[in-house]
Amino acid sequence: MIRIINKIKNISVILGLAYFFSFTLSGCDSELNTESETSLSAGEIFQTQTRIEGLVNGMYKALKGASMYGGRIHLYLDVRGEDFINVTGNSYTAYESWTNSYTSGSNDINNTWQQAYAAINNANIIIDGLAKSSGVISDEVKTQYVAEAKFVRALSYYTLVTIYARPYTENNGASKGLPLRLQAETTSANNDLARSTVKEVYKQILEDLDFAEANLPDSYSSSALNTTRAHKSTAIALKTRVYLNKGDFQNVITEAKKIVPQTEAPFSTTTGVKHALQSDITTLFGSNFLTIESILSMPSTASDSYSGQSAIAYVYYSNKEYYLNPSGILGSSLWGTNDARRNLIELKSGKYYLKKYAKVSPYIDYIPVIRYSEVLLNYAEAALRTNNNALAIKLLEAVHHRSDAGFVFPANSENTSTALLETIRLERRIELLGEGFRSNDLLRDLLTIPAKGSSSLQAAQVLPSAENYIFPLPDSETNTNKAL
Amino acid sequence: MINIFFRVGDRLTFPTGRTILSIIALLLFTSSGFINAQTLIKGHVVDERTKEPIIGAIVLIKSTTTGVSTDVKGEFEIKASKKLPLTLSVSLVGYRTQEIDVYDTEEPVYVTLSEDLNRLNEVVVVGYGTQSKKVFSGAAARVNGDVIKELPVQSFDQALSGRAAGVSISQPNGLLNNPPVIRIRGVNSISLSSYPLVVIDGIPVSTGNISTTTDVPNNPLADINPSDIESIDVLKDAASTSIYGSRAAAGVLLITTKRGKSGKAKANYEGWIGITNATRLPKLLNAQQYMDIKNEAVLNSKILSGNANNDNVSSQLFFPSYNADGSLVDTKWYDYIYRTAVSHNHALTLSGGTEKTSYYFSANYSNQEGFLVNNDFQRKGIRFNIDHEVTKWLKIKGNGSYNTSHNQAYSSGSLQGSSQFLIGAARMAISLPSNISPYNEDGSYNLSSTGQIGMGNNKASSTLYNPLALFEYSRSTSDNDRFLGGLSANVKLSKHLEFNTSYAIDRLKTETISFLSSKLGSSGYSNGGSVTNVSALRNNETFTNTLNYDQVFNNRHHVSALLGTDLQKNKVNIWGVSASKASDEFFENYQGGWSNYTASNNSLGERSFFSYFSRLSYDLDAKYLFTVNLRRDGNSALAVGHKYGDFGGVSAGWVLSQEKFFKKSALGRIFDELKLNASWGRVGNGNLTNNYGSYDLFSSSLYGTASTWALSQSGNPDLSWETSDQTNIGINAELLKKRLSVELAYFNNNVNGLILDTPQSPSKGIPGNSILTNIGSMYNRGIELTLNASLVQKKEFSWDVSFNFTGIKNKVTQLAGDNADIIGYTHTSANANNVTRVGYSVGSLYGAKTAGVNPENGRRIFVNAKGEKVQYSSVVAPGESNWTYLDGTTAPAIGVSDYYLIGSALPKWYGGLVSNLKYKNWDLTLNFTYAGGNYVMNGTKATLREQTFYNNYTGILDRWTTPGQVTDIPRLVYNDIISNGTSFPISANAEKADFLRLQNVLLAYRIPANLLSRLNLSSARIYAQVSNAFLLTKYSGTDPESSVNGNSNTTPGIERNSLGQGRTFTLGINLGF
Repeated sequence: MIRIINKIKNISVILGLAYFFSFTLSGCDSELNTESETSLSAGEIFQTQTRIEGLVNGMYKALKGASMYGGRIHLYLDVRGEDFINVTGNSYTAYESWTNSYTSGSNDINNTWQQAYAAINNANIIIDGLAKSSGVISDEVKTQYVAEAKFVRALSYYTLVTIYARPYTENNGASKGLPLRLQAETTSANNDLARSTVKEVYKQILEDLDFAEANLPDSYSSSALNTTRAHKSTAIALKTRVYLNKGDFQNVITEAKKIVPQTEAPFSTTTGVKHALQSDITTLFGSNFLTIESILSMPSTASDSYSGQSAIAYVYYSNKEYYLNPSGILGSSLWGTNDARRNLIELKSGKYYLKKYAKVSPYIDYIPVIRYSEVLLNYAEAALRTNNNALAIKLLEAVHHRSDAGFVFPANSENTSTALLETIRLERRIELLGEGFRSNDLLRDLLTIPAKGSSSLQAAQVLPSAENYIFPLPDSETNTNKAL
Repeated sequence: MINIFFRVGDRLTFPTGRTILSIIALLLFTSSGFINAQTLIKGHVVDERTKEPIIGAIVLIKSTTTGVSTDVKGEFEIKASKKLPLTLSVSLVGYRTQEIDVYDTEEPVYVTLSEDLNRLNEVVVVGYGTQSKKVFSGAAARVNGDVIKELPVQSFDQALSGRAAGVSISQPNGLLNNPPVIRIRGVNSISLSSYPLVVIDGIPVSTGNISTTTDVPNNPLADINPSDIESIDVLKDAASTSIYGSRAAAGVLLITTKRGKSGKAKANYEGWIGITNATRLPKLLNAQQYMDIKNEAVLNSKILSGNANNDNVSSQLFFPSYNADGSLVDTKWYDYIYRTAVSHNHALTLSGGTEKTSYYFSANYSNQEGFLVNNDFQRKGIRFNIDHEVTKWLKIKGNGSYNTSHNQAYSSGSLQGSSQFLIGAARMAISLPSNISPYNEDGSYNLSSTGQIGMGNNKASSTLYNPLALFEYSRSTSDNDRFLGGLSANVKLSKHLEFNTSYAIDRLKTETISFLSSKLGSSGYSNGGSVTNVSALRNNETFTNTLNYDQVFNNRHHVSALLGTDLQKNKVNIWGVSASKASDEFFENYQGGWSNYTASNNSLGERSFFSYFSRLSYDLDAKYLFTVNLRRDGNSALAVGHKYGDFGGVSAGWVLSQEKFFKKSALGRIFDELKLNASWGRVGNGNLTNNYGSYDLFSSSLYGTASTWALSQSGNPDLSWETSDQTNIGINAELLKKRLSVELAYFNNNVNGLILDTPQSPSKGIPGNSILTNIGSMYNRGIELTLNASLVQKKEFSWDVSFNFTGIKNKVTQLAGDNADIIGYTHTSANANNVTRVGYSVGSLYGAKTAGVNPENGRRIFVNAKGEKVQYSSVVAPGESNWTYLDGTTAPAIGVSDYYLIGSALPKWYGGLVSNLKYKNWDLTLNFTYAGGNYVMNGTKATLREQTFYNNYTGILDRWTTPGQVTDIPRLVYNDIISNGTSFPISANAEKADFLRLQNVLLAYRIPANLLSRLNLSSARIYAQVSNAFLLTKYSGTDPESSVNGNSNTTPGIERNSLGQGRTFTLGINLGF
């Protein structure tokens, strides 16, 4: 009996051990090879046309980051100027921009820098990846995508160089500019990269835009694509802005002529997308985001929109954190009471608020990046500066009369070059109010940023020589990039 | 022949030599009946502390072989053949043996046994088994479940403060169920979790905060009913932890739940009720003071801007409002935001068993309120543990617990990533103007046209909300449904070999809901209201198999060995939807009518660990001890080719007191026990929050309506383990007839290959500007001392004191990118409050250095990177500079490049003291905790001094007003956000954090036995206690243990706009039936 028990025991020992080791040795290595089911790895991303197209859209999406052309960059650059008065003193809604008191640690300073460079790296990843990819998409499509990438890269660098570096016009671009990243970065290498000069950055921007102009499609298959992705005229329009900032007026004219070939109103583009002014400017803001006047806008949908302090419609319109300075452009005699553009501001409790972005909950206004009227005004200014006052006046009036047909410019506003320049500046402030132009328009002409304020909050003027005339470099960059 | 086999790995029954004898004796006697009786001695044995009857205690007549064991009532009868007087020896595992002289037999003998806590002959629960503390040569500490169950906490980890040397536990703030900050022997990682591995009955479980909103925390450890816990064993050195290999670098907490004991069924009820109030709230300006101070700032601003004579610039912006009865509106916002909270907790247990089967069943209900209005925690749970001996060679153990828990809170600014939110209740409580009312005259909420609080007659606008409207119009909850259970079988393959297999599952379903109303006054007003429902399922399974071998050769050589495999699979599946724009303000639930739906918090991940492990222990005469642990661990989250890591430890011990020469020496007369031990081992940390950190990943999103792909993560194809080389040297001693025990340990943990979120230059455009890299090293070195003393041991009066001290130094020795600093941000990048720098401790405080206030002009003086003094005025006349040198010339602005490392945020010493006094039926327990040697950034002080429309504390009255005045509060200038540290951290707000806290004081009374029998109770204890009874500190903020960044390693020691701590009074009762 005992023997049997012992035998059973021995057998059970052997069986137990066998079970134990078979489990052990069977190995569970396969359990360790887990992969994400919601993300693709680098090896898989350039494998299909849809994914590559997705990468291209992803690059625009980065451009549309909340701190960039999702809208807040406009907020920063508008409120630096003298046309808005801050109400809340809240540094999370650009109070530091309003008072020109940014420090290198400020959120806006760090976030904008990071977002612009995220767009740049996305563009570089496409440029690098397409160079290595073959057989998935046609060479023609590939070239178009590279052109779009270079456009996005150029717009991002333009945005950065105009706010984090001294104006080109100050010393012909000799100041320190930006670290010029032209390669895809996905590893921990290359943290250090010195700043190129402002001139070198502009050179790169223009090279990219030239390539983009040459290789972008004339137009896309839908007005949605024509508005939200870059086509040939988009690159040209941006070039008028870049050259204007550079003080290279001759080239502004050269570029402008490509998309504004007429010398008399009505002005319109004759090739590709037939850009022109809309008869009523208010349609652009709220009712139709896809007109031919919108050369580039950042789209929004209920599924892809910002809210709260990330949405400029919240800051300007729902939460009413800035009102129009009565002694700013609001008080200009140029801005007549019948001007349609007054429909884009709203009077509430004795104060005027910007209403260009008023699609709230969800906040689905498209954010304009380039409009045809800007190109006309860029062209007007360049014409004036190259002594073609007659053309300048025609362009100026085309923009103005679209919104206030009966308006008669006082003679002294157009009769001298100086007066006309001032008038064009005022026109830009009325036409492009809230679209992020005021600060650069001051800086590129090396003008003082005027003081402004209310009975409770004041912001001092900023002289061109002042440190805070431009944004400081962000700490997050200076901490890691030792070559700056 | 009775065959008694005790396995090292069996946690309940490993006996000491003495008890083996006792049990043998018992078995002999119970089987052989009674010996010729002459004298019948009756008596009963109770636990000295709980006064509950002790079942199965062995009662021996000294110098004879006569003995019996106590029955289920703790009673015994023994017939003695010896004449009186005689001596009875009463013993039981886990209790000190007691000797009683018996002179007569008229009265039953009453014997109390005291628990033998923290003594060398205890059992230590180690990984996958237990060891006798006598032959244990690592470093571990045990906290008995009894000390936890009566504390008014949500999760057991909160109750461990000051209980064990080397273990630092602090509550980050007073929000209910906020996971405590736990550090075992210091911060052991930089980017990975420093939370210890928590193993409950063999299954490693989730830790941290699993809520998906920043309003309400959810610590999954609160799903464990504290009164179900038998013991918590803290494994501290590599020799003990290395059996857990890759996840043990931050230490291990082994939780053992209670199990039934054979004997009559016992029922217990344990309950308490308590009230909690906020403590140390700063004193704020009343309405008149508020207006005076704010208008002074407005006027100063006007004057400094050169507008002294400009009528367009206001001299005053703050004006009184009046109530209907004509009285000045003077609102005490604390009364609306804080409350006296009432909590109660109940647990019912039923346990018992037969020889072969034992069971433990418990049910518990806890309903706790926080002192923040509407901050609630509820838990309902049941547990069933069962043990059954199927045959002589097969034992089966099963356990299962199911519970639901409910967490609820408003946004309070107390959780990581929320301190700057405008809707944070703690900041509103101190910042809302006192001269405005929460209500309009008609009883409606006082609101502005955009939904913020109405400013009454003040001319400044408000960014803050009306808290009453916010509270009514919002809701944040996080609910858990959890099953935790398992089954294990133990097969005795031979006399010396056992096979154990166990499977356990931890299935945790969490639903987190945030609702913001569309009504005016809600922070969701501008979005038309929103509701976000997020469902998370964490499914965690473990399958463990071990072989245990244990044999004593030649009565001297004790060898035990363990060999095992472990497979753990962790799946996390989180999905959620955010619905916004209610079609009617009536809707408050996701199921209502909404216009927009977007995905929220989606995440899908899987993590597997696969491991082999082994342990070999050898001791010679329980005198020379030796243990080796080895573990090979595979972790799916690491890079291909780097998934496996080898870990292990060796330890050795020498029980000096067992040596003959020692026993004979003078020391031998002092020391009852003396043991030296040393260990060295290597453990790992692979607790990556990211399951796929080695890959470059692209994720999809939307650009308008077009779908996108974009780089979402730059991976590191070489990502490998973080390893920690740990050395431990210790002395354990018992002396003075075991009335004093001393444990002294030195430890040195060198952490290498730290996985760092290595900062990348933002200009590279890499998502998150960081890549996980194995670069970096640091060490934690220190000493631990534990003293347990029985100061008085009288029959009716005893006094035990236990004290522990830890001295620790943390130093970072290498970082990525040529030792580039790692900056720690609090909520936003403007708050660069911490720096991790080579040569200093992790997460040291960081900020602009200040040098007081210039007595001449009241401006804050800063010290720039060159060491030059620079003063600041937020408002200056046109043409002047805000930043000037003291001589008035323009200076560059202070930026992050001027920041200094202000001081260590990690305590350099900490510990606790527990004093336990017993007199007759009374006992009084005091638990002190202390820590210090570190600094806290009192960011709340910046808020209390903020020069916007925010209210200030009364300390502001010491502001600079006249030339020559020496003060540390600068001249008040309206909207100055720099001088007081609002905009960026300043050293003036860093304060020393040394403190002594009376964590808990408890007074209990045991109802005498004669009273109990009338009530048919076997035991009853009532108690009253105060938690957080007092705090001695020079720190001026609400609490020196605050951490607004929770458990984060790189951003410790920051208090900013978060809740303080509450003080709780509880009354409790424990009844045994």
